[in-house]
Amino acid sequence: MKKFLRHNAIGLVFGGLFLVVLVGQAFAGLAFFNEGQRAVGLPDVSFWRYVTSASFGVDVAENWQSEYLQFFLFILLTVWLLQKGSPESKSLDKPGRETDEEQKIGPYADENSPKWARTGGWRTRIFSNSLGLVMGLIFLGSWVAQSVAGVAAFNEEQLSERQDPVSWGQYVLGADFWNRTLQNWQSELLAVASMAILAIYLRQRGSSQSKPVGAPHEATGVEG
Amino acid sequence: MADPNLGHAAAMIRLRLLGGVALVLVAAGCSSVGDRQEAAADVAVRLLTAVEADDGEAACAVLAPDTVKSVAEDEPCPQAILDQDLPRPGKVVETSVYGQWAQVKLDDDTVFLGAFPGGWRVVAAGCTPQGSRPYQCAVEGD
Repeated sequence: MKKFLRHNAIGLVFGGLFLVVLVGQAFAGLAFFNEGQRAVGLPDVSFWRYVTSASFGVDVAENWQSEYLQFFLFILLTVWLLQKGSPESKSLDKPGRETDEEQKIGPYADENSPKWARTGGWRTRIFSNSLGLVMGLIFLGSWVAQSVAGVAAFNEEQLSERQDPVSWGQYVLGADFWNRTLQNWQSELLAVASMAILAIYLRQRGSSQSKPVGAPHEATGVEG
Repeated sequence: MADPNLGHAAAMIRLRLLGGVALVLVAAGCSSVGDRQEAAADVAVRLLTAVEADDGEAACAVLAPDTVKSVAEDEPCPQAILDQDLPRPGKVVETSVYGQWAQVKLDDDTVFLGAFPGGWRVVAAGCTPQGSRPYQCAVEGD
């Protein structure tokens, strides 16, 4: 048990923190939503009603989509893009998809390689891109969910202000959808750029995301 | 060795089960939205029918509390509501329900309703569109 916890600590701790924070968001969002209800003379809604509402849905989905977009872009673009001195970059002589031998696929797979890395054909092609594919699909799914919950939440506000609701098509071409989307994208892209550049010159002793403290600033593709 | 066809069959059953569950959820969601639309349209028509029948008590019974307060500023609601410029009940053309709000469009009126524990209540009625600006309403809360 102790060994299991130690060997899965990153997933467990971040998964647990995610749930705690999501519940926190639900309570804070409920309080904010009910302030709005009271302001227009409507009664408070229950916790359950709020967490199944479009308002909560769009607030959750808009953040999810941007996080998965961030990982999708980072995973995909770092195949080709390099950053001298950054632990987030591969070494400077390895841009691109690399050789089958370097990637240990097909005839170069060893006995410990995953089955789909060994078999070749479409299975290996899919498995070779599975991380980016899944991140990309979750991004698209969350973005569509944001648009569906977003139009419902937006229309709820429209009606409360005595205005006509809009269609999904009008909504995804409108200001609310793109304001929610772009404000999340810019922060994610800033975080990636800061991490890639700050990690050239700064260190966090013992962290997998940092170079060893004594590693030179120019050392690229080295993790601590 | 396990029969791969059995695995395939089990996967198909799982897929069908998932499809069934999704269908039930979608059907439940649709019927719930449909019920709420019908209930909102019913309350909107009830208000205009009561006003047409000079039944102020019945009309005020379907108004939201803030709207009652606003209507009854100078005289009791059952009298005041009959003096408002509300049209006769027409045919319901379109009903939209989003969360705690509903909009019922009739032939010559638009009514906005809010969700209350006892069901829909009219927040604003006798509303006419003003282009991209909010509707102007004969009856509404502050």
